[in-house]
Amino acid sequence: MADVSIVVALLLIAAAATVAVATRDPVRQALVLSVMGVVLAVLFTVLQAPDVGLSQLAVGSALTPLLLMLAVRKVRRRGQGKERER
Amino acid sequence: MNGWTAAATVLLGCGLGTALWGVATGPLRRRVVAQNLSTALACPGLLLLSQAYGRPSYVDLGLVLALLGPVGTLVFARLLADELAEDPPSARGVTWAVAGLGAGAVIALCVATGPSRAMVKLLVIGALLISGNLLASRALSGGFGGAGRG
Repeated sequence: MADVSIVVALLLIAAAATVAVATRDPVRQALVLSVMGVVLAVLFTVLQAPDVGLSQLAVGSALTPLLLMLAVRKVRRRGQGKERER
Repeated sequence: MNGWTAAATVLLGCGLGTALWGVATGPLRRRVVAQNLSTALACPGLLLLSQAYGRPSYVDLGLVLALLGPVGTLVFARLLADELAEDPPSARGVTWAVAGLGAGAVIALCVATGPSRAMVKLLVIGALLISGNLLASRALSGGFGGAGRG
């Protein structure tokens, strides 16, 4: 029974990672990445490594999306400023 | 013990699979809602897993997710405010269904644990999960006026 949950978690992380790579728009990629962080934490828990899962949750569900979104916003603002200068 | 593992596997497989599908396709408003619901679904799944493995300390994972999941959604609600204001997401039915699912899982775990400090912790996690989920969902649909402009 434990093997089934491991297989399900592995399938989920494979699907999530594939979707994250296949998505082109950075904003949507950040959304997929945040879901992937949660799935990865579930995988670590199923593999009996809750300490790794805890840090993955802290980083993956809030910090990575925040950094990505801030970077996207900064790049977009800079692009708009350059267009105005022209 | 086996029933808890089965319940957790089904919940995580179906719930996170659906959330993944929702976040991978469709317009931005659907993706944001799916991201919010993925954390709301994973938290009861983690709680069920802790019961399945018989390790009460695994409950901490659910606690952290219940705290940080809505924070992650609020990040998106804040930074995507302009895009979401043009096309506001409304998923009241799904949100309440997932909140009910989380409440059901927490109540089942409380019955299995019996009255003790662990049960109080479970109840706190459930309250945090549902309130955070509803709060984040409301923030996504622009329920807080112009607070998200930036």
